[in-house]
Amino acid sequence: MSGGGLHRPDEGDFGGDEAQTMVAEEGPVTTPASTTIYRSALNAPSRVGLGPGIAAAVGLHVAVVFFAFIVPRYFEKPVQHRAVIMARLMPLGKPRAPNLLPRAPSAPPAAAAAPAPAAPSLTKVAPKLQSKPAATPKPSHAASNGKRAPTNQELMERALAKAADQAVVEEPDPERAGAANGSATGTATSAEVGDKYFTEVHDAIAANYTVPSVISERERLYLSATVIAYIGPTGALLRHTLQKKSGNHFFDEALELAIKNSKLPAPPPELVKSLRDEGVALNFKP
Amino acid sequence: MKKVALALSLISFAALADRPVIDLNGARIQSYPLAIAPAVGDGEVGARMREVLSADLNRSGLFKLLDQRSFLAEPLHEGMSEKTIDFSKWTAVGAQGLIKLEAHSVKDQVTVTFRLFDTARGAELLHGEYAASRAGERQIAHRFGDDVVHFFTQEPGIFQTRLAYVRETENGKQIVVADADGANAQALTGASINLLPAWAPDGRMIAFTSFRDGAGAHIYLVDSISRAIKPLVLMGDFATGAIFSPDGLRFSFSASLDDNTDVYLSQADGSAGRRLTEARGIDISATWSPDGKKIAFISDRAGSPQIYTMNADGSDLKRITFQGNYNQEPAWSPKGDLIAFSGRDEHRTFDIYTVNVESGKVARLTQNAGTNEKPSWGPTGRLLLFSSSRTGKKQIFSMSFDGANQLQLTNEKLGATDPAWGPLK
Repeated sequence: MSGGGLHRPDEGDFGGDEAQTMVAEEGPVTTPASTTIYRSALNAPSRVGLGPGIAAAVGLHVAVVFFAFIVPRYFEKPVQHRAVIMARLMPLGKPRAPNLLPRAPSAPPAAAAAPAPAAPSLTKVAPKLQSKPAATPKPSHAASNGKRAPTNQELMERALAKAADQAVVEEPDPERAGAANGSATGTATSAEVGDKYFTEVHDAIAANYTVPSVISERERLYLSATVIAYIGPTGALLRHTLQKKSGNHFFDEALELAIKNSKLPAPPPELVKSLRDEGVALNFKP
Repeated sequence: MKKVALALSLISFAALADRPVIDLNGARIQSYPLAIAPAVGDGEVGARMREVLSADLNRSGLFKLLDQRSFLAEPLHEGMSEKTIDFSKWTAVGAQGLIKLEAHSVKDQVTVTFRLFDTARGAELLHGEYAASRAGERQIAHRFGDDVVHFFTQEPGIFQTRLAYVRETENGKQIVVADADGANAQALTGASINLLPAWAPDGRMIAFTSFRDGAGAHIYLVDSISRAIKPLVLMGDFATGAIFSPDGLRFSFSASLDDNTDVYLSQADGSAGRRLTEARGIDISATWSPDGKKIAFISDRAGSPQIYTMNADGSDLKRITFQGNYNQEPAWSPKGDLIAFSGRDEHRTFDIYTVNVESGKVARLTQNAGTNEKPSWGPTGRLLLFSSSRTGKKQIFSMSFDGANQLQLTNEKLGATDPAWGPLK
């Protein structure tokens, strides 16, 4: 550091006696009155006053860094929250007269929901996929005759494959209520317009949003939690913070799991920066 | 200082950014994966206990019971304590909870120890030891099932409650009571035509409609323990559908006088009856709100049978349903928010629906599974009973309040109808 012995760690800061001591060590400055000049770093001669200026600058920078990065950790950021207008899609189905009793919720009609096959060979495969759930590939012949005992993972896969074979496939409801031009994934009873991207984020998380049945309904009425999710340019979840906990361990765990398991869409260019830096607030209620 | 203040104000200004807020409601409810290990000790008794407990917990809709064939552990050899159980073998098959039981029997006495574990933490959550005579051994499993439900939900379990229904016989219809799982069915009446059982809040007396006196339909009361029967309403030639108020001090019923069927209110002993509805047409099938302040009923005063509500003194009439042209048999949920009913759809098939009392939103619970009628709420409002013809003869089924987990309870030779779920013990 420039300034030499002026800022030795064991010295005080511009005190009268100490200043005199320093002057004595410097030699050329001989008048006692000059020592009083050193009481103000701003008025000090440039030859010896650079140190206090640098110290002030360093202090200022430290303060800026402190207030910019440390303080916000202890105080909530004054972020302006903006409610998102969600877009809702009518489900694909037949329009239903309002005076009729409703149909039960069901999967979309298989034939109408399936996209047109790209190649003729796919047309034979599609009906099979619709009528039977995909089964886990069976272990190879070599593996089944192998000498080693099956691992827990292999046993689990076999059990799952067996369960998938036994699963009952629900027949699609040919009278499913909705609109003729609705969406196979539509859920709303009437169409609304809104923020397309945030609707996609909502739907992606909602698809994984489950809470354990063992949380009592009475408690579910009062549970709520807020998670701030920071989303990268590819849609990857950069990080998330549980800003407001619900107080129920099962519920909070379920929310975090829902976010982690969700494949979020890549944000449009105009939202990349804000979603990366400020994130999106997710208010969960059961 | 001015520079510092300027810098800080710039930082604050930069932080005032726009953060969108997304509200997520309506989570799907996921059943809790639970494994019930085969019993140790007296294998025969233990197997029966395990079977009853499994059926109870499965019917609750709260738990997803894992198939025993998927178990990796050897339950008979790993013991009953946290120290001896290898929980990794249970978590590997997806179990979050594990129930172990040990049964012993000496002469007529059966003793069963149950333990509930959290497999992730390897910790015991619940521990119970119960004893009963062989004749009452099923109650042991029901009792522990109730304890498990209460542990998780802080709501009482319903496995020790009883239900009443109408059994079809070759000579008519009789009132029957059974355990909540349909077991131990016992007839309370002979087989004239007996209908519409309804429990008093004391859990002992049951009101029902009967043609037993040969002078039309009248309301009687039967003691579910002594089977003693006494008349309650002998008014006119058509009095039916008695339902007790939640406090048990009054009951409502329907009666036809002067060619007009209306809803009436009476003291619990049948005295001081008075008419609550006055409109021309049929007013029938009253049901009480859980706070005892309101009554819902069916009326065709607007041209088709629909659900209406009114105060318990007959004031403040309000129509609740506007969809469908034949809605009947309302049952007000113990939670107060929903009224279940059976409605006829455009295919002239009756199914079970609920209507939200506040919003009027109707949800369908049964569909494409025979004729489904006469919903009756369980005492906690989590489950419903109903009758269904889906397997041939009408039988009693249970389901969750949202229509999930529909399971058959009775297997009566000629059929079973009119279920009524008794109160908590």
